[in-house]
Order: sequence, then structure tokens, then C-alpha cells
Amino acid sequence: MRRKRFSRREVLAGVGAGLAAAVVPGCSGGDGGRSGALQVWGGVPAASGPADVVKAFQEKFPQYKVNYTRFVNDDRGNLKLDTALQGGVDIDVYFTYSQGAMALRAGSGLAADLTDRVKADPDLQVFLDTEQPRSYIDNGKVKALATAREPFFVLFNEKLRQQAGVELPQSWTIDEFRATAKRLTTDKTVGTYTLPDVARIALGPNYWYDGNRSNFGDPHFEQGFRLGREMIAEGTAFPWTEVLSRHLDAYQQNSFLGEEFHLWSTAPFNLRYLYDAKKYPHDFKVAFAPSPTVDGQNWNGGSFSNFIMVNPKSPKFEAAWAFVKFWLTEGATPMLKGGKMPALGNVTDEQIVSGMLGKEPEKYFDLESFRRVVLTSDPKLATDTRLTGFPEISLAVKQQRDLCWLGEKDPGVAIREVRRLADAAIARNERRP
Amino acid sequence: MATATVVAAGTKARTEQGSGIRPSGWIGFLFIAPNLLGVIAFTLIPLISVVVLAFTDWNLVSGLGGITFNGIDNFVAIARDPGFWHAIGLTLVYVVVSVPLTVVLGLALGIALNRPLPGRAVLRAIFFLPYIVNVVAIGMTWLMLMNPKAGLVNQVLDAFGVQPGWFASSHWALPALIVMAVWGGVGYCSLIYLSALQDAPRQLYEAADIDGASAWSKFRVITWPSLLPTTIFLLVTLIIGASQGFGLIALITAGGPGDATTTISYYMYQTGFQFYRFGYASAIGLVTFVGVLVLTLLTWRAQRGRALND
Repeated sequence: MRRKRFSRREVLAGVGAGLAAAVVPGCSGGDGGRSGALQVWGGVPAASGPADVVKAFQEKFPQYKVNYTRFVNDDRGNLKLDTALQGGVDIDVYFTYSQGAMALRAGSGLAADLTDRVKADPDLQVFLDTEQPRSYIDNGKVKALATAREPFFVLFNEKLRQQAGVELPQSWTIDEFRATAKRLTTDKTVGTYTLPDVARIALGPNYWYDGNRSNFGDPHFEQGFRLGREMIAEGTAFPWTEVLSRHLDAYQQNSFLGEEFHLWSTAPFNLRYLYDAKKYPHDFKVAFAPSPTVDGQNWNGGSFSNFIMVNPKSPKFEAAWAFVKFWLTEGATPMLKGGKMPALGNVTDEQIVSGMLGKEPEKYFDLESFRRVVLTSDPKLATDTRLTGFPEISLAVKQQRDLCWLGEKDPGVAIREVRRLADAAIARNERRP
Repeated sequence: MATATVVAAGTKARTEQGSGIRPSGWIGFLFIAPNLLGVIAFTLIPLISVVVLAFTDWNLVSGLGGITFNGIDNFVAIARDPGFWHAIGLTLVYVVVSVPLTVVLGLALGIALNRPLPGRAVLRAIFFLPYIVNVVAIGMTWLMLMNPKAGLVNQVLDAFGVQPGWFASSHWALPALIVMAVWGGVGYCSLIYLSALQDAPRQLYEAADIDGASAWSKFRVITWPSLLPTTIFLLVTLIIGASQGFGLIALITAGGPGDATTTISYYMYQTGFQFYRFGYASAIGLVTFVGVLVLTLLTWRAQRGRALND
């Protein structure tokens, strides 16, 4: 009996076919593998609020089941989400946290057009506002809706403030901020971690852009770099060598709790470290002051954020929209424990106090200043809508700021380099189709 | 008839030895199939994809439909990109300093560990340890050791009046990474050299001893030529490894301060995964691949005919 022989070509073809058979179904963009449940992807751990939102939604709409999947909100986590969206993974609703990723997703067909739904709903008209936008509008179409507002404020360590005899400011300028940091600086404690973004306060949203060029020629940018450098040099702001070598950018709360620095310009998401003394031991209360003003301007460094988007490929659009609307209009209260104040402001003051400041708010917070700064005032939040070359510009600002605050580069030279890099990034990105 | 039989037999032999595969050969393919599939799926296809994407302006998020071929635009842009050339310069410094240092120290350590020392086996294991320890643990440990204010390294250097800023200085960050790379690679090199030294021809040493050769003469004439193939292997693998150095940079400096440690692999990562310029990043990858290939071939070529066995 003659035995069949195979050529190398046939063998390789067979291996290739086998591989294709194994791989192709996994890349299917069709409905293969889609579940009946609504698939929601977000960056906040389920236990920090989303699980309770989902639970409340399912109780109100028993016909829908929701699976919440957490992705880590960093470069790799966002890449995972982007690849999943492109690869046809079963995702109906997802969150976007960075402005750079938002522009790409909205401009690349990964976000459903929500304009008609928003326009038709009286509760959501605020999302059409373009003065202080709470949505991302791409070519006239609403593609993403902010679920949270995160105003910046300045926290005072009350114990150290009273020791230094410094009055808690109710309004102040950036120069007064510097003077206060100086008064609070001791042998053991630096006055402030760093200073608020001077140019942001003065210029507001889209402050990096001026027409089809960058706006880094505005003197407020150099003022911010120079002021930071001078405060570090005089010892009233945290030494940048320590910030970089200890990676403090991501762990500022540890140094604040350890009383290494005093003033902390931050946002509500960091309050969770301050009401749990068992997990994050400390023995002081904190008080709240508004962000300082710059040249009479008072834009807040915070923004409307945590944008919710619907995958245009979702076959469950009605369920997805029901979930989005529920989150926006009535379901976001559980997110308060992670410091996410609802973008629509549809929660009571008491819900905010108990949600954001833990079980014993009086023990760890000066409630009077909290009510004044966070609840009563209406800070001008600056949400960027112009995002050309956003990641490149962010990196350029960070790199040059580091060099400047390490004392290696003059503030003027550093800002000119940022301007050169930002102009190049804007020109390159605007050339793209 | 006899001629025809011979021809037929010859054809059969050619078929079995040449282009055909006996069915029994399938068993061999089955054994290597899992690895082969892995190589095809995770190496070959991505490699081909990189070559194709290098000629496109693709950003991943736009999907396969968003792929637009732009000819050699990416390569023209690379030639004019100061960030690319800066990264190439840093990578060359990193490779040119760290690789020879690692090899020389590895050789010295290998020779030392080849001698009858007390506790030699334990010492070998200790020196090899950095090679197998998790990169995150290494990074965090060195970050603490090299803290400019409270780190052990600067406390020792303080006695000499030197206080480098290490990872918080654009002048010292790359040297700090080189120190870590050398520390991590010396143990590996010494182990490879150790095995090569144990294979060195004893009879030549005996003959040299009889001739009264000095220790340096024996090293120059016998040891070094016999270690040359090993050295070339180490140079090639270390050059490739150093050119691809990424983990510690991503973990410790993220390319900074400024762009002081943005080597070519990190620049490629930034371009692709932070700026989403996957087409351009692929072109950088392709150019780097060709550069490393040329460097490797030159290294390989340099040793031809110089080894003891050649």
C-alpha cells in the first residue's frame, strides 16, 4: 500500500489553517459570545460604588441584568478597553477618564451619538451647555456625558494651622497662598505639596490652545513654573527631587497623612483617605479653603469628568441608554464614597456629607468649611473640549515642569520648549485626516 | 532495465531525503505544534504586522478600517524627528557603557568563581540571584537605595563628598539605570563564563606550564581565545537585551526626568501606547530592528577566525 507523503508547503498550509481556525472565531466581530446582560466597563472598583449603582438599577429595571467589569485606568488598562471595543468584545457602556482617550474614541466611531436622546430629555438639557460643558461634543454630536464633578480645593491640616496661628482663608490670591505656605513651613513640615495650576485658574478651559497654535506664550504658564520653582527653592513647597525619587505624585496622601507637608490642593477623590483612620492613621481634622485666584480670575482646576459612553455596536442600545440615564439622574449617590459628586448635582447636602466624609464626619473634617467651599459655592469648572495632541502636550508639560522644578532648567526656557513641542504636536495632529 | 531501476531508486531517495515528509514525521510536528502555533501567533504575525503598519498612519482606535497607507512618510518623519535621534543616542550610550562593563565584570567574576574558593557554590548562587529576581522587586529596591536624601548609596557616597540625584536628576538617571543593568547582568555572564572556563583545554595549560608561560600569557593565548565564542554570544544577547531595555525604565523613571531616560524602546512605547501613533511606532520598531540586526552581524563578523577552535 502506498503511503501518502506531504510536502513542506502542505504541512505549513495545514498549520496555518489550523491556526486560523483557532484564532479567527476569537476575533469575531459578530454577536458570537454576546451575553444577554448589559456589559458595563469602568475604572472604579465595583466595591467603591458601581456595584451599588448596578444593584439599584436592577431593582428598578428587573428586566435588565448588568455585568460591571473594572479596567485599571492607566495606559495599559485603556489600551485593553480600546482593543476590546475594536475587537468586538461584548461591551455596551463604558467610561472614559482621560481627555486624550476621549478625543480618539469619539472621533473613531467608538461612541454612539446621544444627541437626540439628550435633546429629548428635559432632565438632561444641561448637557447641551457649551459654556461650562458637561459633555463631549464631537462635530455637533454629543458623544460622552460627564457623570461626576470634581472641584479642586485646598485642604488645611487643622492641628498644624492652629499651632501656626494662621487664619483659614475664605478667599485668597495666589500670592497669599504662597505667603500662607511660608508661615506654615516648619523644621518638620513643608508649607505645601505644590501650588495649584496658575495658568488654569487664570485662563480656564482649553487653556493650552490659541487658534491653531498652542497658548504657552501666555505669561501665566511661565508664572506658574517660576512660582513653583521659587517656592521649592525657599523650602515652602515639597522638594521635587523627593517627589520624583519617591513617586509621590501617585502617593501624595501618604505624605499629607504623615504631616510631611501642610497645604494640599486636591479634589474630592482624595477625601477617602481622610475618614478612615484605621486604614490611614492620623490624628488631625482637615479644613477646606477655595482654590486661590490669579489676577482676579477664579477658574477652578477641577472639571466635570468620568464620562459615560455607549458603544455604537451595542445591540442593546435601549437598555444601555436606560442605564446611562439612571446613572446620571438618580443612581450616582453610591459613587459619593469614592469622592464622585454627581454631575447633575441631584443629591442633597446631607447625602454628600455622609457619602463623601464617612461615618464620623465631625471627627475628621471641619464641616463648616466643607459646606462653604464644596456645597454652597459654585466653582467654575473648566472642562476641556479642545483635545488636539492632548497626550503629547501633557507629556511635554510634565517633562519640562520636572526639569524646571528640579532646578535644572530656567522657567522661561522650559516654557519655550513646551511651546515648541506643543505647536509641533498640534500641527502634526491637525494634518491628520 | 537496470538503469531504469537505478533512476527510480534515486528519485525515491531524493523524495524521502528532500522535499517530502514521511507520515511518521507528523509525530514530530505534533510535538512542536503548541510552540509553533505560539511562535506564529505571538511572534511571526505581530512581526509581519509591524512591517505592514510601518507604512501606515494607524492609531488602533480607528480599527482595521482606519488603516491608511502613507508610503515612506513615517521613515521620512523619523529622519527629521529630534526625539527619535535623542532616544537613539541615549540607547547607544546605555548599550556601549553597560554591555562591555557587564561582560568584563562577568568575566572577572567567572574566573574568580572558577578557583577553589570556600563556599563557592553558595557564592555562585548569590551572584546569579539578580538575574532571576522579579524586575519590580529590583526596581523598588534600587529606588530606595538610590534615594538622594535617605538612600544607602548616597549615605556611603557622602563620605566622599558626592551626592548624586540619581533618578531625580536628568544627569544621573541614565548612569543609575546602567548601574542597575550591570548589577543585574554580571551574575548571568559569570555563570556562562564559568561553564566555558570548565571546558577550556587542560592540555594546553599543562603545555604552557611546562614552557614556563606567565599567567597573563596563558590568559591571552589560551583562555581568551577559548572564551571568544562565549563572549560573542554574550555580547550579542546583551546588546539585543540592552537595546530593548524597557521594564526598569517604565517602572522607575517613565523616561524622565525630562526625557533623560527615554531610550528607543520607551520612545516607541510612548509613541504607540500613549500617543496612539501605532503606524509611526511600528516604523520606529522596524528601523530599530534593522539597526540591532546590523550591530549584531558586525559583532559576529568581528570574531570570525579569532576563536581557538577556528
